[in-house]
Amino acid sequence: MSAAVQQHLTEMWESPHTIRGWFATVDHKTLGKRYLASAFIFLLVGGVEALIMRIQLTGANQSFISPETYDQLFTMHGMTMIYWYAAPVLSGFSIYFVPLLIGARDLAYPRLNAFTYWTLVLSFILLYLSSFAGQSPHAGWFAHAPYTEAAYSPGYGMDVFVMSLILLTISTTGGAINLIVSILRLRAPGMSISKMPVYLYSTLTMSVLIVVAMPALTVAGVFLELDRRYSTHFFTVARDGNPILWQQLFWFFAHPWVYIVFLPATGIISMLLPVFCRRPLVGYPYVVLSTMMTGLTGFGVWVHHMFSIGMSQMAMSFFSAASMTISIFTAIQVFAWVATIWKGRPILTAAMHWAGGFMALLVIGGLNGIVSAVVPVDWQVHDTYFLLAHLHYVLIGGNVFPVFAGLYYWLPKITGRMMSERLGKWSFWVSFIGFNIGFFPMHLLGIAGMPRRIYTYPAELGLDSLNLTATIGSFIFGVGILLSIVNFFKSLRNGAIAGKDPWKADTLEWATDSPPSAYEVVHIPSVTSRSPLWDDHDENFDPYNERILDQGRLTLATTWLDAKPLAISRLPGDSLAPLWLSLVLFLFFGAMIMHWLWVALAAVIASVACAYYWVWPKPQKGVA
Amino acid sequence: MSASQTIVPQTPSIANLKTDQDLGKYGIWLVISTEGFLFVDLFFSYFYLANRTGRWNVEIPPKLGFALILLAILLASSVVLHLFGEKAVEKEKYGAARAGVAATLLLGLIFLALEGYSMYLSWSNLTPATDSYGSIFYTILCFHAAHVIVGSLMLIYVLFLPLGPSETTPHRPLHSATLYWHFVDAVWIFVVLFLFILPNL
Repeated sequence: MSAAVQQHLTEMWESPHTIRGWFATVDHKTLGKRYLASAFIFLLVGGVEALIMRIQLTGANQSFISPETYDQLFTMHGMTMIYWYAAPVLSGFSIYFVPLLIGARDLAYPRLNAFTYWTLVLSFILLYLSSFAGQSPHAGWFAHAPYTEAAYSPGYGMDVFVMSLILLTISTTGGAINLIVSILRLRAPGMSISKMPVYLYSTLTMSVLIVVAMPALTVAGVFLELDRRYSTHFFTVARDGNPILWQQLFWFFAHPWVYIVFLPATGIISMLLPVFCRRPLVGYPYVVLSTMMTGLTGFGVWVHHMFSIGMSQMAMSFFSAASMTISIFTAIQVFAWVATIWKGRPILTAAMHWAGGFMALLVIGGLNGIVSAVVPVDWQVHDTYFLLAHLHYVLIGGNVFPVFAGLYYWLPKITGRMMSERLGKWSFWVSFIGFNIGFFPMHLLGIAGMPRRIYTYPAELGLDSLNLTATIGSFIFGVGILLSIVNFFKSLRNGAIAGKDPWKADTLEWATDSPPSAYEVVHIPSVTSRSPLWDDHDENFDPYNERILDQGRLTLATTWLDAKPLAISRLPGDSLAPLWLSLVLFLFFGAMIMHWLWVALAAVIASVACAYYWVWPKPQKGVA
Repeated sequence: MSASQTIVPQTPSIANLKTDQDLGKYGIWLVISTEGFLFVDLFFSYFYLANRTGRWNVEIPPKLGFALILLAILLASSVVLHLFGEKAVEKEKYGAARAGVAATLLLGLIFLALEGYSMYLSWSNLTPATDSYGSIFYTILCFHAAHVIVGSLMLIYVLFLPLGPSETTPHRPLHSATLYWHFVDAVWIFVVLFLFILPNL
């Protein structure tokens, strides 16, 4: 296609390289990169907090940090990792790659995309501003009432917990809505739902879970704040309140959240395994169905976090059985991956190493999860290091390892440079060995009776050696992660040029340049199979140049089932409105923490003004 | 590739496609879904607290009459918005549509004023600080009122929207605002049922 068309498309889609352009951009590639970079900064912050705690726990009766600091540290570590790292890093992949995978030029709501990024960052800043005042949240990432009530937790800590999380909820929900509509509406013609890459299914499932589950966190947070500041009685027993209501609402949100941070990670594995095994995924429909069933069943298991509150046999049996059912769906996926490796000709790249580590850790974490789903065992190990070991095996095994697999697989597309395979494998082995040295002993510590969330322990219990081992392991793990970061920066400087498709992969993102141009592809691709780059059909075949769509910021809307062309979608361009609205909301939630109600009211009015400014019609590029 | 000439997907001609007018609609449907779950969680909390405390048979049940009048106002506003707002836009009678939106907005404001007045009346024997019943009762009412305010803000936006070329975003703003308004009304039906009718039975 002529250079003139490319020039025209670039003008239409590229953000200007100015300061305003930097803040106003709605390009999903820029925002996806920012999401990923931010999430990794959050990961490092949470990691450093973990290492400080491990130093404190190295031996008995240490006083490296005070008990109060320890409480804030484990809370901030949990919140940072679970809320601000684990889901946003996956959102980063989705925001960058979903439009490329579906052959669209951007997500359905580009400005909403910018808004969710700014609110993500600002909610993190809101959370950590409390650390400078020494008043961080201190009640764990699940903050069970009534300990969090004003009478037992004075100060600003728990208000920060509530307000920063509600701001994050807005961000997460907006992102999920954006992804759902994009996947169901903007797929390339021919990509019917039976031909969607597995990653799209896992992203879709995650997004639906967010839409359904997140409001429960908002409601619980609002109740808590009302109790703390505005003398209501949701969780105070004295006036007929019920602290268990917090647990019901919170875990109704938080267990699906576990799948929110896990399912897209399985999607990444299902994308890269076929590429490195040089064959299509075994059991595609079963993998897709079990992904969705995991999401669905994930709504029926929240009570397994509450077995020790006292409830009927019937309820416990139901939720115990539902929890075990989940393992069937996970097992289906694991067997499909093993079969893909078995039937293919696996190439052990660095990405495959991380994927293999993921499967190993997931199976260990999953098995001790099944053990914990048995009610009497749960009573025994509840709130011990056994649970801590389980959740780190499934979260680090089920999120961090696949995310690194995804990075080694997808970063060449994002940066245009290859990372060192050798250093990648070193990083994997150091991380994998360090992780197991660090976290396996925690199973034993838990069975020996060491409770979680204690800042130290007496020497007589004989927990020293295992704790020392765990500390050494966690530092080795940290070194392993650091090696990958070094690898990343080295590749930026002198990595080999990646080219369009360095792995000879099968999905549409690899049909674009590395890094992709602002408009991504000249012709919106057409698709006839699940592996578009492995079949005989030419995605760009467009004899009448119908799919160039250069009369504005346009992309193609298709039917959700068959992906038949339906209409031309016009997407909005750069705008500062998302940033302004996020800043005003940041001010609102900050004022609510400080209890400056007049400032909060002013912020509400300003947010309405920003919203009007946002949606007020403006002339668009390419419209005469 | 040479094989590509033979495998061309049978698709309608893209050149003849119209501009997508429904992209915004799906977003607002998803907003409604997540807000719907917000109210599901609120109603769950209402019944959960009731069940655990063994009372909800409050001594002075909330006044049913007021709630039913409010229900009538909101339902009427939805009908007005549908018949005089959306239908008028379909017939391209934009002046009439603006009048319909303004009438809806007026009904919404009457609703808010009356609801505020009814809360003022019930305040003498029940406040959010009285007990968990008072807390959840007023919280649900205020959550709903906040949604009525948001719906009203959407209608104000539509009311003053200039008539431009149809390509400009947002797509079909009146349709999105209407969907949201109907949702807010539908929630009030459940509020009346759970918070007002059940305690009076």
